[in-house]
Amino acid sequence: MMKALGPLSRRRFLTAGASLGIGTIAAPYVARADDPTLRITGWGGKWGEIMKAEIGPAFESEFKCKLQIDSAFPYLPKLQASSRSAPIYDVMHTNSNEQWAAAEMGLVEPKIDPKQVPNLADVYPYAVSDKIVGVSIFTSAIGLGMRTDKGYGSVNSWKELWDAKYNGVRGGYVIPVNSLGQAFLMMCGTLFGKGQTDLDAAYAALEKLKPIKIVDFTGAMEKMLLSGEVGLCVIHDSGIYRYDGQNQPTDFVSPSEGVLSLEQVLTITPGSKMKELANAYVNYMLRPEVQKRLAETVWYSPANKKVKLDAKYDAKLLTTPEKVSKLIQVDWKWYNERKDEIDQRVNRIFRA
Amino acid sequence: MSSTTTTRPNGLALFILPSALMFALFFFLPIGLMALMSVLTGNPVVMPKVAFTTRHYARMVGDPYYLEVIWTTIRIGLVTTLVALAIGYPLAHWMARIKSRAGHALLLMAVLAPMLTGIVVRTFAWMTLLSDKGVVNQTLMSLGLISQPLKLMYTETGIVVGLVHIYVPFMVLTLTGVIGRIDERLEQAAENLGASPLRAFLEVTLPLSLPGILAGSLLVFALAISAYVTPILLGGFQIMTLPILIYQQISANFNVGFAAALGIVLLVISLMLVIAYNRALGLVSGQRELQ
Repeated sequence: MMKALGPLSRRRFLTAGASLGIGTIAAPYVARADDPTLRITGWGGKWGEIMKAEIGPAFESEFKCKLQIDSAFPYLPKLQASSRSAPIYDVMHTNSNEQWAAAEMGLVEPKIDPKQVPNLADVYPYAVSDKIVGVSIFTSAIGLGMRTDKGYGSVNSWKELWDAKYNGVRGGYVIPVNSLGQAFLMMCGTLFGKGQTDLDAAYAALEKLKPIKIVDFTGAMEKMLLSGEVGLCVIHDSGIYRYDGQNQPTDFVSPSEGVLSLEQVLTITPGSKMKELANAYVNYMLRPEVQKRLAETVWYSPANKKVKLDAKYDAKLLTTPEKVSKLIQVDWKWYNERKDEIDQRVNRIFRA
Repeated sequence: MSSTTTTRPNGLALFILPSALMFALFFFLPIGLMALMSVLTGNPVVMPKVAFTTRHYARMVGDPYYLEVIWTTIRIGLVTTLVALAIGYPLAHWMARIKSRAGHALLLMAVLAPMLTGIVVRTFAWMTLLSDKGVVNQTLMSLGLISQPLKLMYTETGIVVGLVHIYVPFMVLTLTGVIGRIDERLEQAAENLGASPLRAFLEVTLPLSLPGILAGSLLVFALAISAYVTPILLGGFQIMTLPILIYQQISANFNVGFAAALGIVLLVISLMLVIAYNRALGLVSGQRELQ
């Protein structure tokens, strides 16, 4: 039996101890409980690492808010399932084809207001063209990735992917689920038909592309190329350049017919309660210093014309109007209107 | 007195209530919602004007591609089940009849050990074995037995190999319990009456283990037709199954209604096969219906 020692009883001591402990653990959360939260989407990998370590915390500190990043793909079905008046995201970051689908469903605002996002004035025209919903903050170039240790010789054209010597080591994508695959299908129409919308020519070209190893996302293609499972494949420049300095026997080829644009697009949801903060985030991501840091980490070409990259990156990425003019943008609105029909056809083409 | 007994709350019912509620909430409600979504033009929670429609089912019936996908899914499920049974039954029989406790423990560990590793890891392990640059092809090529890599991946066979490896433990564990409960003296009596060991097994042990075969097969079949990771990785997206198609419809086409219709079809087919299998085995074992 324990007697109370003056005013301090055992019960008081335990209560005080527990309160102190809970208080210590909860303090950071309580302190930030009043901070507004901006819910966004974003990629994993190196992008996710730098966002978590540097870019995100700097934004939180400057705008006195909390950034909640969802990097568990796919984002659009989750946004689709959430309430229009209280959407799961305030800002959605994904590729252009999905942004167009989201805009068609009324899930994202089709355009960003230049008055709210002053940095929009400094972006290349492609970033806010009529082929873009929202704003493209970065792009990468879709071209060909190849092994340099197999004696294939130089590759200059998309059409060389059809060369029989690549049978068994040719790489492509699951077109229904991959932006690069979908953009490549449109390129097939240009290469072998009357233009991007010549689907019959594209289907015929895809038939002739077999045998081909197909994957669902670019990370898998990078691994296949690095392991030698594929020797020539469709890939974006970032998927090759990010292994710079590792002495890998791989290289990126910009075909003479042009490279396809793989845009990293930001949009704001109409039902967001954090519009001001959402616009501030878009503006922040277009700042030259933020663009430079991200571009030199993940090898994406910045959309802001004022960004000056270090020589190593400047030599390879699309950083001048001349280089940017080589980009071919896809009409995703047109594509999405026919997506079911295209999916059914390409699923048939690539089944074993 | 009897009235007092009948009005007293049943203690067992109170114990069952939480699990019954959970079952209703997380099993029946989602399936009910999925069935509803499959006959609606959109999601009524977020869309203002939604009507009933049969278009999702009409699309499936109207295009032979979807019927081919359904058949591929069932075929992979059936082959996986048969191979898992062929591999699992002898192992389960051995485990059930082994006299040594240490031997039984070792066998049990051997069966359970692969289950301690995730499905994704095990599937990637198969990829390192079966790919063009994998262990099998590289070994055969280095021995001069083949000049070009064998097509071991991106085929239905590759998928079945991966699935069987993953689901054999489910078959073995289900069968071991059933075979272990069969009285060995029945087999001894059959042999004493002149039956060979093979005949004693075929006419005594095998029929008595049919409930285990049924349970194990249904479990493996259900897991195999709903598998996603293994068919996608080992099939290289060139073998389309219903779970892959459902994911594609949700993640890339954003067509929840059609995905729900595909899910309902998968469920109905599974139920039909389960009922048919149940009846067939019931007739074979001399019972009208197995419990």
